[in-house]
Amino acid sequence: MHSFGHRANAVATFAVTILAAMCFAASFSDNFNSPYPTAAVKILNINWFQKEANGNDEVSMTLNISADLSSLFTWNTKQVFVFVAAEYETPQNALNQVSLWDGIIPSKEHAKFLIHTTNKYRYIDQGSNLKGKDFNLTMHWHIMPKTGKMFADKIVMTGYRLPEQYR
Amino acid sequence: MDWQGQKRAEMLMQVLLVASAVAAFLAGYVLADFQLMLLVYAGGVVLTALVTVPNWPFFNRNPLKWLDASDAERHPRPQVSAGAAAGAAGGKKKSGKNK
Repeated sequence: MHSFGHRANAVATFAVTILAAMCFAASFSDNFNSPYPTAAVKILNINWFQKEANGNDEVSMTLNISADLSSLFTWNTKQVFVFVAAEYETPQNALNQVSLWDGIIPSKEHAKFLIHTTNKYRYIDQGSNLKGKDFNLTMHWHIMPKTGKMFADKIVMTGYRLPEQYR
Repeated sequence: MDWQGQKRAEMLMQVLLVASAVAAFLAGYVLADFQLMLLVYAGGVVLTALVTVPNWPFFNRNPLKWLDASDAERHPRPQVSAGAAAGAAGGKKKSGKNK
């Protein structure tokens, strides 16, 4: 510590090392959050349900997506990425997941919402398996931190069924 | 800065930075404000730099006593000469040349 430059370097590097430790501690503090999110998706209408020229089924629907994800936010949360996926089984695939809608929640104030929309992304099957199909609508979310570990979780909502015939 | 001053500067740096970090983290966590934590810590780092980096007078309270120029002439530095010390230098490191 014999010169100005030597001491300045020591302060700078030690300060940055301690900053890294603080970021670790901030991320770790997210483990003490016990969130209690709620979600509900209602299918208001099946707009149309057709088999495409390439042989794949496609359905278009209007949804009410509502949720209260405010308890997911901590002091270390940058934003929450949320998406709703239709999940079902076919003879070819044990699990099909088709994302129907997604959004970014930038802050706790925006985390309680009700969205009335048609599916943002197309609900197309790999094949022609959707007639009378039972499926789940699962709301997934990724809690993106300001620093450190990202947490992901979901709520599974069961009991949805597609029409027996094309419309 | 003298030796004691350097030791004191290093100790002050470590204590001040860790204290700033603890204060910043607690402030941010309790008030749920990440940016506040970063601002408090940045302030602490600037304060630490101001206290420990410049050569303040209180870091020079135990100055080294250098020998006067006249005293230095009266007490010359010991020389290792090749001829006179050859016999006695048998046990020392660099005596291989004359043997």
